[in-house]
Amino acid sequence: MKYLILIIGAALVIAASAFVTRALTLSSLTNQASIFDSFERIKGPWLYSDKIGAAAASDVERARVAIGGPLGLSAKEAVYFAATEDNAGTPLRSQCTYRVTGQPMDTRWWSLTLYDSMTQHYVPNTENRSSWNSVSVPRDDNGDWKILVGPTPLDGAWLPSQDAPDQAFELMLRVYNPSDAMRAILPNIELPDVERVSC
Amino acid sequence: MLNRIVIYLLGAAALAALTFFVTRSFIVQQAPIKVMSTIEARIAAGAGGWNACFHNQVYGPRANAARRANPDSIISSMAYDLSDGPVRISGETWPRYWSLSVYQQNSDNFFVVNDQALADQSFDFVLALAEQSTEDLDGTPIVSPTAKGILLIRRFAADASDMPGIIANQEALFCGPA
Repeated sequence: MKYLILIIGAALVIAASAFVTRALTLSSLTNQASIFDSFERIKGPWLYSDKIGAAAASDVERARVAIGGPLGLSAKEAVYFAATEDNAGTPLRSQCTYRVTGQPMDTRWWSLTLYDSMTQHYVPNTENRSSWNSVSVPRDDNGDWKILVGPTPLDGAWLPSQDAPDQAFELMLRVYNPSDAMRAILPNIELPDVERVSC
Repeated sequence: MLNRIVIYLLGAAALAALTFFVTRSFIVQQAPIKVMSTIEARIAAGAGGWNACFHNQVYGPRANAARRANPDSIISSMAYDLSDGPVRISGETWPRYWSLSVYQQNSDNFFVVNDQALADQSFDFVLALAEQSTEDLDGTPIVSPTAKGILLIRRFAADASDMPGIIANQEALFCGPA
């Protein structure tokens, strides 16, 4: 009888522990910002990872990326930067307007995409636009560019954020086939500024 | 009596800790495989089966895209299963940017090549397991570490005006058993 009670007790401990662990682990992996826990903070508002799709990623890093942004390219082909804050370190919010400015990048192709941090998907909008890329973005004579982010139409290269106020969003900068010179200094390349204009 | 209770509590704590580490490790290792299986099922449903290509033919954001997908990237995808033999994929590249990437079942991107790395504008690859012979098959072999996985072809569109050319490129693509 004593051993039966011990076995039942042990089974209950295992079942309860497994149940709680499952809930905690899935919660931590599927959290909206979980994918960025595997990114390293570099200068300004930008986070960086060269572990997307990489065999060198840890089990946790691999799981976070598979859930939050599956089927990314390995660093051999592309590198990824993400911003969830502006230059001042304030979280990006839907009701504010931001100016994202950058210079020409020594890479074959880049794109800047806006995602709703809660859904981890595109933001529906009247322009059906969630990105600008190195070919489509308007440039000045020096090749410099400016993208304006906000909930309502803005003159110039407008990147729409959510209509509803106080929603979190993120900017993802993808850099495809960076030059050897750029690769040599990754991740310390010249990255866009993200400045809050109004709120 | 008190000693015995302490021993039982310590035993329960040790058992709980062991269960925590084993369960967490299992979930973390299985999560990418589960995600891949889900995506493979979606691709296979869209393509009409495994070892066939499904083509996205819409420019811009799509409601049914994967989390944090790139809207500039017009993708052809194939869920592959090499259990019955190698799979062949051949066609033409796309000048703005084209890449072929292959993901094993744990989601690692184990192979990628882009148009600038190829000798010309056409490509011909055979995806096979290490133990499968590809000597009598046309195409450059790609060895997959796992029998199942996903192959993606990315073509970049600057805007919607690129789509007719990309759709023609997609329609010239062959994906199927070698």
